[in-house]
Amino acid sequence: MKPILSVENLTKKYKNFIAVDDLSFNVNKGEILGLLGPNGSGKSTTINCILSLLNFESGKITIFNKEMQPNAYDIKKDIGVVFQEVAVFEELTVFDNIDYFCGLYIKDKTLRKKYIEDAIKLVGLEEFKKFYPKQLSGGLLRRLNIACGIAHKPKLIFLDEPTVAVDPQSRNNILDGIKKLRDNGATIIYTTHYMEEVEILCDRVIIIDKGKIIASGTNDELKELSKIEEKVTVEIDNLDDKVLDEIKQFKNVDEATYNSGILFITYKKGKNNLSSLIDYLKKADIHYDKIYSERPTLNDVFLYLTGKELRD
Amino acid sequence: MFLHNLKYSLKTLFKNRMLIFWTYAFPLILGTFFYLAFSNIENSEKFDVIDIAIVNNEQFNDNMVLKESFNVLGDEESDEQLFNIKYVDLEEAIKLLENDEVSGYLVVDESPKVVVKTSGTSETILKYVTEEIIQNENVLANIIEEKLNTNIIDGNINEYIENIRDDALKMLDMNSLEIRDITSKKLSYTMIEFYTLIAMTALYGGIIGMTAINQNLANMSDNGKRIAVSPTNKIKIIFSSLVSSFIIQVIGLFILFMYTIFVLKVDYGNNLLLIILLALFGSLAGLSLGMAVGTILKTNENVKIGIIISFTMLGSFLSGMMGITMKYIIDTNIPLVNKLNPVNMITDGLYSLYYYNTYNRVYFNVVSLLIFSLIMIVLSGLALRRQKYDSI
Repeated sequence: MKPILSVENLTKKYKNFIAVDDLSFNVNKGEILGLLGPNGSGKSTTINCILSLLNFESGKITIFNKEMQPNAYDIKKDIGVVFQEVAVFEELTVFDNIDYFCGLYIKDKTLRKKYIEDAIKLVGLEEFKKFYPKQLSGGLLRRLNIACGIAHKPKLIFLDEPTVAVDPQSRNNILDGIKKLRDNGATIIYTTHYMEEVEILCDRVIIIDKGKIIASGTNDELKELSKIEEKVTVEIDNLDDKVLDEIKQFKNVDEATYNSGILFITYKKGKNNLSSLIDYLKKADIHYDKIYSERPTLNDVFLYLTGKELRD
Repeated sequence: MFLHNLKYSLKTLFKNRMLIFWTYAFPLILGTFFYLAFSNIENSEKFDVIDIAIVNNEQFNDNMVLKESFNVLGDEESDEQLFNIKYVDLEEAIKLLENDEVSGYLVVDESPKVVVKTSGTSETILKYVTEEIIQNENVLANIIEEKLNTNIIDGNINEYIENIRDDALKMLDMNSLEIRDITSKKLSYTMIEFYTLIAMTALYGGIIGMTAINQNLANMSDNGKRIAVSPTNKIKIIFSSLVSSFIIQVIGLFILFMYTIFVLKVDYGNNLLLIILLALFGSLAGLSLGMAVGTILKTNENVKIGIIISFTMLGSFLSGMMGITMKYIIDTNIPLVNKLNPVNMITDGLYSLYYYNTYNRVYFNVVSLLIFSLIMIVLSGLALRRQKYDSI
């Protein structure tokens, strides 16, 4: 099956600064592809190059088996974009904003009205149709931003950090909406620096740093890259260096640190590690407050690959 | 697509409070201010007849056009008298000027020359009127010469000489009629200010045009980015925005005219339609200037607004909005500046309607404004076509 979107050797420079460095990837029909990377890693620049909003030094972009160009209207009509910045008219109501942007794609007024109602329902703005953007909270505004980008029922949707500065309720609503879009058959490219969202939403993830792809695959495939299977955190008031040294010698332990009353242990493999640790602490008569075990996250993968946190 | 964008462009512009204030409310406020401020001045300081001297030498008496014209303008019997003329010799004229008994004097030597001491309104009017008479005289002379030459070539000079003389007299009579309209009754500070207001409102269209264009450009606004990724032709969208801006402008001018005519009781005379025509073409020039600034310059919106306002204010200053003397100085010394200045195209048209009934000059300015607008639109179109990528 041919990919819906193909990016081949894309390079974008700003004078001497390479923002996107020989990037290549494909997006298959019906999947949600996550572009994960810290701020300034080149995610948005990549999206803008794909959308012909930016010229680029080299590379080829193919969408729906046709080469993307600034005037490729037959491609653009099936693309929906939700930009990082809220792009709506302050002077228009929620309904009018969606109608205006949807009208750039759909001429039939009856069909457009139905599409607008669908979009409003999808993002949960039914009660705010006649509101002006100024009257909406940050989360509701983001929802409107999404509705404006997807009301025309596009086949390929670009969502560029759509949940930045959004309250948890609106974030959940937005994420649910995105899942519904995928369920309705849309292919989605989702850029974010929130690893939790990628883990919840994306079928496949590309991790970008300094304009380059540093890893790609499914969530599980990426987590394997980190060589860690389990993380254990224990709250302990006091811990001798001698005890810490003993813990470091445990089976499967990759690394153990103790800072500010927190014992943090990473394990290369993930079987019976927590029970073994609890047994040891009991035998040594060491009192602990809370203890919990986690699977590694994409942040651990990023940390492992780049030596820095995703949100640095 | 055109109508869809037009509809929403109108909605957004109409609901843009800042824009509506500057386009609709500000001219009305300013108009009211002019009315309150200048009508009082006018009541107490009615425009006086201007005292001038003319050196009554042989050359002046030989120049029929000049002599006849000033004869009309200085007719004490007429209630349309503009000048109070003393016919004296050169020595006396110099003395009168030195003693401030006259605003200036006219002396015809090899060519007519106006001598003034200062550059106030009276002095400017004397210079301006003299220059216009000389221009009309030259036109007349050229026509006569042309006819004469044609008839000499045809070999029937005697047969037509009487007709040529009749034609010349007719033209001279028309010329006198035109000059006769430069009356003390019509010389009103308030009218000058209202013409200024019309020109200013028309040129403010630049800000509306630029705002409308910016909403559609990906490198200028987030909404523009959204429009840029849609399957719509950028030039079509921008054209519909320009049309909506023009509609907003026209409504603004309509409100201004209605307010000044029916509330402030401003009498625009018999030339209202031509004044409206000039205002409409002035608006088009303003909008197209805004469009060009919006599309060609790669800078933020505030800088663009600053450029448009600066351009308009400088153009207004050079075209005499802050005092007609400046217009005279520029017209005399660097005429090209005002020939290319769209503000001057409007004010020159309005002033020519104000001082004379010479419609040719109005039409010339209308055509100039149209050419200016077309050049701006073409430049904007070229800039848009060249920008294949939006370069956000």
